[in-house]
Amino acid sequence: MRIGDLSNDGAMPALEAMVRFAGGRQRLIAHNISNISTPNFQQVDADPAEFQQSLGRAVDRRRKSGTAGSGLSIENRAGTGVRQNADGSLTLDALAKKPSRNILFHDRNNRGIEELMSDQAENLAAFRVASDLLRSRHDLLRMAIGERV
Amino acid sequence: MYGALEISTSGMIAQRTRLEAYTANIANAATFTDALGRNIPYARREVYFAPGGGAAGAKTEGGRALGVRVAAIGQDHTFQPRYEPSNPLADEKGYVKYPNINTVFEQMNAYDAMRAYEANLAAAEATKAMMAQALRLIA
Repeated sequence: MRIGDLSNDGAMPALEAMVRFAGGRQRLIAHNISNISTPNFQQVDADPAEFQQSLGRAVDRRRKSGTAGSGLSIENRAGTGVRQNADGSLTLDALAKKPSRNILFHDRNNRGIEELMSDQAENLAAFRVASDLLRSRHDLLRMAIGERV
Repeated sequence: MYGALEISTSGMIAQRTRLEAYTANIANAATFTDALGRNIPYARREVYFAPGGGAAGAKTEGGRALGVRVAAIGQDHTFQPRYEPSNPLADEKGYVKYPNINTVFEQMNAYDAMRAYEANLAAAEATKAMMAQALRLIA
């Protein structure tokens, strides 16, 4: 079994995809926060629910194809805002966010600082969970390679 | 994720510029002369933002469009006339031009800029926490 097969085994590709997604989404949330005072600004986001569904479909496809040691192939569907590049990295497209429940201010910006902070906290929590799980997988690999049980 | 840090930094810079404009407005609320002593009142400053310019080194147009920048700093040359016939700079009707600045509005705007600055700071802290967490993967 090669190192590539080891790192693509089990849940590690899905966890890595989750970490990449959360890292990319943080940019979009930071963009929304930095433009909180910009007139006519429309907030953008990548939908985590859509991404979770794409990830789930990619995991199912891999399981059915029997290629457990290969990376995940996330489909590039229009409207999800997530595209997988040839090298496996993810590119998040900034899609217009669904209109929030907040009022539209006189500068035509429907800023909602509470919603943004909540999105950020949720994204950070998801990143932490995925990276902690990924780190535990790496630790297991390291122990196995070092023949320490 | 370094892009996210730059985006938050652009937000902080923009809000700080906005705060400086409001503090200058408050400081000059009663400045009714120019450097030559003429009755040309201080022009109120207003900062206008536009998206973009935050992610330096971004490779795509989408990446370069992230963040915020100061698009313009406008000046309001309108004035408030006050009746001060004893003022040596009063016109023939006894009026002196003062800046069109309401210090209460400027203070509220300054608080708004402060809160927005803090929000950008919180976003930068979250990004830093994610970076530290990612580094723990390899160390």
